[in-house]
Amino acid sequence: MTSSPIVKFDNVVKKFGDFTAVEKADFEIGRGEFLAIMGSSGCGKTTTLRMLAGLEDPTSGNIYLDGERVNGRATWDRDTPMVWQSLALFPFLTVQENVEFSLKMRGVAKAERAERARKWLDKMQITEFANRNIAQLSGGQRQRVALARALVTEPKILLLDEPLSALDAHLKVRMQAVLSNLQKDLGITFVYVTHSMSEAFSMADRVVIMSRGRIEQIGTPVEIYREPRNRFVAEFLGSANIFEATVEEEIAEGWKVIHEEGRAIIPASELPDAKTGDKITFIVSAENMQLSAPDSEQDGIEATVAGDEFVGGTAMIFLETASGKELKVQKSHEELSTLKRKAGSKLIVSWSAEHCHVLPDE
Amino acid sequence: MTKRPSLFSLVLALPLLVWQLAFFLFPLIFLVAISFWTVKMFQMQPDLNFGNWQRILTRGIFWDAYLHTMILAASASALTSAIAFPASYAISFKLSETAKRWLIFVLIIPFFTSYLVRVYSWQVFLTDAGIINTALGYIGLGPFAMLNNNFGTLVGMITLCLPLVILLQTFSLNFVNRDLIEAAHNLRCGRLRTVFAVIVPSARVGLVIAALFAFILSFGDFVSPLYLGGGNPPTLSIMITDITKSGQQWPRAAVVAIMMIATLMTVALGAITYAYKERGK
Repeated sequence: MTSSPIVKFDNVVKKFGDFTAVEKADFEIGRGEFLAIMGSSGCGKTTTLRMLAGLEDPTSGNIYLDGERVNGRATWDRDTPMVWQSLALFPFLTVQENVEFSLKMRGVAKAERAERARKWLDKMQITEFANRNIAQLSGGQRQRVALARALVTEPKILLLDEPLSALDAHLKVRMQAVLSNLQKDLGITFVYVTHSMSEAFSMADRVVIMSRGRIEQIGTPVEIYREPRNRFVAEFLGSANIFEATVEEEIAEGWKVIHEEGRAIIPASELPDAKTGDKITFIVSAENMQLSAPDSEQDGIEATVAGDEFVGGTAMIFLETASGKELKVQKSHEELSTLKRKAGSKLIVSWSAEHCHVLPDE
Repeated sequence: MTKRPSLFSLVLALPLLVWQLAFFLFPLIFLVAISFWTVKMFQMQPDLNFGNWQRILTRGIFWDAYLHTMILAASASALTSAIAFPASYAISFKLSETAKRWLIFVLIIPFFTSYLVRVYSWQVFLTDAGIINTALGYIGLGPFAMLNNNFGTLVGMITLCLPLVILLQTFSLNFVNRDLIEAAHNLRCGRLRTVFAVIVPSARVGLVIAALFAFILSFGDFVSPLYLGGGNPPTLSIMITDITKSGQQWPRAAVVAIMMIATLMTVALGAITYAYKERGK
């Protein structure tokens, strides 16, 4: 196994008429890596995947697959099987015939075809459905057929375009585990396109976040979550409180800044070469925010409770400051039990300096 | 629990029911009934005479005509489907939405003109001294006999069926899931092979129904076999007119007609069963 990347996007641009679907995609995918490409609809994530599959051709730039430039090479001449959002199983073929399809197209003899298909049906635990019609399978079973069909040629890379979006929540979590384990077992590269943060963050080694054709950030889930590069990523993650601030002066604990709602201290490590008057954007994650009663001695921002949202074992409290800025605080139900918090009641919101993260690209 | 149809829906369905009874079921029953009648002195008399059936079904000339009609209709259906498919494919997959709409409109235009007129105009092209043979003569070919034979009949039948078959095929190809085509390409299936391995099976229901329509229209056609095919050997529809003209033998003509209806029913049922056949258990 070499350490050279299996995929390299070199300044790839894709335009449809005047519309730029992908703007200067420039990244590499490692061998055996599980890479998720995430973003809302129309961000260019599917176009990026389709260019890799050979279903679209880049307008400019180069795509390298296993060291070879593949621009203009048809999808049937690449070894980049894909799993579609619709799964795209052939309804006029049985389960086994679906799995055998690409072997048949390669002229593999009938007996060998059947044997190799059986192996993958076994692996995906759908052998008993081999002679069934696709229409008679459940959503999860179809998913497994689609995976077996794509993997039967033992490719080095598998492309997945929102394959779980049609499943219900319970099945989705189970299929995530199936995919995750499968990728580890096979040791091949998975490129997984999704709009769902939970899917991307739970399975991927690295995540690419895209918006309006641009790559906003690439990193491990923890890196992205802890240190979003810019406002878009921070907002996309959904759990960050974002503040615009101006650097005031250096003090012992770090830098003192003025933001919309008051003053805050940012650790010196977050602002290595700051000077007075610099404009910065910093975030504090919702779970790192503190709530206190209005009559407590706590120093912080006074805000009015606007509502809350139940998130499993925790609650997300939405508050509004006097100037109309929305703040989010995520707390466990125990922590909240001692606090009076009806819609309309006033509370003090605070955080400690070490939880401030400055967005480097803003 | 089965729901009883409401009075309202029964009232709405009534005109259709009356229509079907008056113009389909009663005539059909009447047709079956007169096939047992007797003709005496050019007059039909109600009877229970099996002689008509025996006379038609034991004659070689009937079965020759039956086979001839079957072969013509099956050939017309197959040829029309084959000629129509590339056009339908192009309309459905290769053209812009605007071009698609215009072409579908253009395909409807032939229905504005009488089929008989279109068949007559073919005579101008197909006769020995016609446009095609004259043109071929300039390059030293022909003349080819294209009129008053099976070739002429098939040209007429294809003229009759082609626009409808292209329309039906185009609509069924429009419903082929585009993801399936990309998936086939992605699984190493080249363009041409995808047509036969994925597009044709995906559109099977529509393609079979289109071919069935071509068969039905050609099987019962009277115009092309007579005016372009010369009427000899006769098809079943020509045979019906011949029988009624010779000695007012409406009962025997009814036997031929019933055989035709039974054949179409069988073929239609077989075709639809085949079209909807599912793979696997």
